[in-house]
Amino acid sequence: MNPRDVTQVLLSTGSGRVGAVFLTTLVLVSLFVLIRFPLDFGPTRWNNPASWADNPKAAAPAWTRLWQGNQAIGHRVYQSQEPSASTPLADLEQRTYTFSYDYGGGRAPTLMALSVVDVRFASRPTVLTLQVRRPDGRTLTLYQTVVRGPREGETPPYLRFQDAPLRVNLSSDGDAAARVREFYAQQMGVALTVEALQGRITHAVFGTPIEGAPGQFQPLPGAYQFTLTAVTGASSDVIGNVKLVMGGSVYGVMGTDTLGRDLALGLLFGFPVALTIGIATSVFATIIGASLGMLSGYMAGKTDLVIQRFTDIWSNVPLLPILIFLIFILGQKLWLVVVLMILFGWPGLTIVVRSMVLQLRSGQLVEATQALGASKVRIMFRHLLFQIAPFIFAQMIFFTPGAILAEASLSFLGLGDPSIPTWGQILENGFRTGAVYVGYWWWVLPPGLLIVVTAMTFVLLTLGLEPVVNPRLRENR
Amino acid sequence: MSLIWTLAIRGLTLLGVLFVVLIMLVVALGATGFSDRMLRAIIGEEVRGLRTSLAQTIRDPDQLEATLEARRRDLESFYGLERPWYSRLPSMVLRVVKLDLGSARTLRSFDGSSRVTDLVLERLPYTMMLITTASVITAVLGLWAGVKLATRAGTALDRLSSYLSAVSYAVPAWWAGILLILLLAFRLHLLPAGGLYSTPPPEGGLARFLDLLWHAVLPIFTLVAVSLGAWVYTVRTMVLNTAQEFFVTVARAKGLPEGRVMRRYILRVASPPIVTNLVLGLAGSLGGAILTETVFNWPGMGRLFYEAIITADENLVVALTFMFTLLYVAARFVLEVLYVALDPRIRYGSRT
Repeated sequence: MNPRDVTQVLLSTGSGRVGAVFLTTLVLVSLFVLIRFPLDFGPTRWNNPASWADNPKAAAPAWTRLWQGNQAIGHRVYQSQEPSASTPLADLEQRTYTFSYDYGGGRAPTLMALSVVDVRFASRPTVLTLQVRRPDGRTLTLYQTVVRGPREGETPPYLRFQDAPLRVNLSSDGDAAARVREFYAQQMGVALTVEALQGRITHAVFGTPIEGAPGQFQPLPGAYQFTLTAVTGASSDVIGNVKLVMGGSVYGVMGTDTLGRDLALGLLFGFPVALTIGIATSVFATIIGASLGMLSGYMAGKTDLVIQRFTDIWSNVPLLPILIFLIFILGQKLWLVVVLMILFGWPGLTIVVRSMVLQLRSGQLVEATQALGASKVRIMFRHLLFQIAPFIFAQMIFFTPGAILAEASLSFLGLGDPSIPTWGQILENGFRTGAVYVGYWWWVLPPGLLIVVTAMTFVLLTLGLEPVVNPRLRENR
Repeated sequence: MSLIWTLAIRGLTLLGVLFVVLIMLVVALGATGFSDRMLRAIIGEEVRGLRTSLAQTIRDPDQLEATLEARRRDLESFYGLERPWYSRLPSMVLRVVKLDLGSARTLRSFDGSSRVTDLVLERLPYTMMLITTASVITAVLGLWAGVKLATRAGTALDRLSSYLSAVSYAVPAWWAGILLILLLAFRLHLLPAGGLYSTPPPEGGLARFLDLLWHAVLPIFTLVAVSLGAWVYTVRTMVLNTAQEFFVTVARAKGLPEGRVMRRYILRVASPPIVTNLVLGLAGSLGGAILTETVFNWPGMGRLFYEAIITADENLVVALTFMFTLLYVAARFVLEVLYVALDPRIRYGSRT
């Protein structure tokens, strides 16, 4: 059968069609990820806590608001390169960045963080002030700083916050807490203790004190206007980017884990990784297994005996314990996992291919070609291989999910490659940190589901290929 | 005669498997320097023990140090540490087989021993309990359902079962376990989420035993659920294949009752290939047990494996890899004997 016929037969069965659709989706998503994601996504993004600092921790997906209703609060990020207003002020210049945040009551934002990147000044250090104007008309200063002045021997322009941004987590910052306490004391006449504000800064900022319940705050819904004022010495001074984050209790399409990592990104990155593991393993294991099987079946004699005995032993080595051991001893490398799965994956095919070749060898075709004087190699690769090729192809697809599942199992036992995030690793993270026991379902269900769907894709394709392998099924159709 | 011969060949092959695994273990340990580290740890432990006992009798600190140093050198030459690793292979193999691998780093057995042997042997019964129970349930259910399906071949139920078997192949046991914990233990509070006993464990032998069973329900259910689909499908296909043979038609034509035809004519003939498939699925169920125990915090060898990996305990990982291989090889041999008993062709010396 030529490839076109194989495709036709495959698409004529229901499971084959579903499998083909799934496979196409998997491949398309993988291609998208390969184009859009950096290859060192693992070390530079996924395992780098700094890149997730502004995300809420262990937040459910945003669409859970459908049933969480008012209980949930969205994640808002305000960014601005240009000030919304700039006014000259004597020989200085004042730039203001305004962000308005609508607070609907209910839960207070889980996080409040200000970041400023790339500040350059020529002579006077820039002064930054963050204020919030509450719906009750009161104004609260949350943060004020003077950018570090010139150092000894430094020449203008002075560059600040180039590589590491200025980042203040206002929801846990001691200085911000002191300012909130001062605000409450002066404008509301309420003395807050340090303990009362511990971890509740945002509650205080977005609420009013409740009489007789120290440390409790009544949410104050309405529009909050955040203003960052930058006083610069010259109009040529630069402020690159201003970012204000109001952390939500829900985030993105897939939510976040306890480190604030966007699970959607990790799951996306898992697509090409899983496909590569599965396909690389199955292709190479199939090549080795089929070659040895043909060799064993066709050569007969000593070669056959040696290969048979070796295959018998090798096929009986229990894969998972040995994989665990070797990866544990030799190091947690993904390529090593793939190589080991190839090394232990071929014997099954060798046994079957050998028995098929034994049958074909005594057939008339081989006899005729031998009579024509064809070499052994030619007979094996030109005539035998082509007869069993569809079967080998089906076996290759059947073997693919096994490799994906084995890698996932290894990852789940904590033996994943730390530099390459996979679905199994995301699940392991969730399981090890107890996500199962506190009900963070969005952390453990999607990666497992993706593993199952990917494995199912190849199983369905195998089912669809059955008529290719077994011609009797084809005729009966 | 040929019966013994067949069994001997199978036994030799399985011994070969054990041998190959052992060689892989010690070569990997030796070539990466792990075995050196393990041996030094054992020697260090022994010398420390000696120091506390000798400190009572030898007062002179210099003399004490000299004695200890001499002892250390003795031990090093006893374990062959001054020779290259490959010359120590036979003794290393022997130590792995005897589980004489020193002590675990942080993990302790229930009564506080840190010896690898104690730890592993103590966990073994729990793993055996889980695997054997799950296998027996799966085998019985699979046979029953497979036969039922074979009599209804081609119906919607039958087609559904072929899809279910595909799903069962694709669902990893550990994820199924997590799902079941989320659903049955935390949403519905029907079953305990894990562990061996409730806290506090109930008083009295019977109550304790029932509590153990109660905790075993979910892990066993998980193991059965993930392997049942494929197993039912195998039985169904084998039975269907046999049912098309002429001697079955003849049996029916003789007017034998359908139950008798199924038992004596179809199942009897289909049983060897069914056992073969049971054999093939064994490695999978063993791996499944490692992961299922981990998920359900079931204190068998699988959970111990996970804990050993998490705490980077080399001695334990070596011991457990060997134990799981041993378990696999032993179970394989039992099935081989069963196979020989079931297949008369082997007994009468014809080729299979």
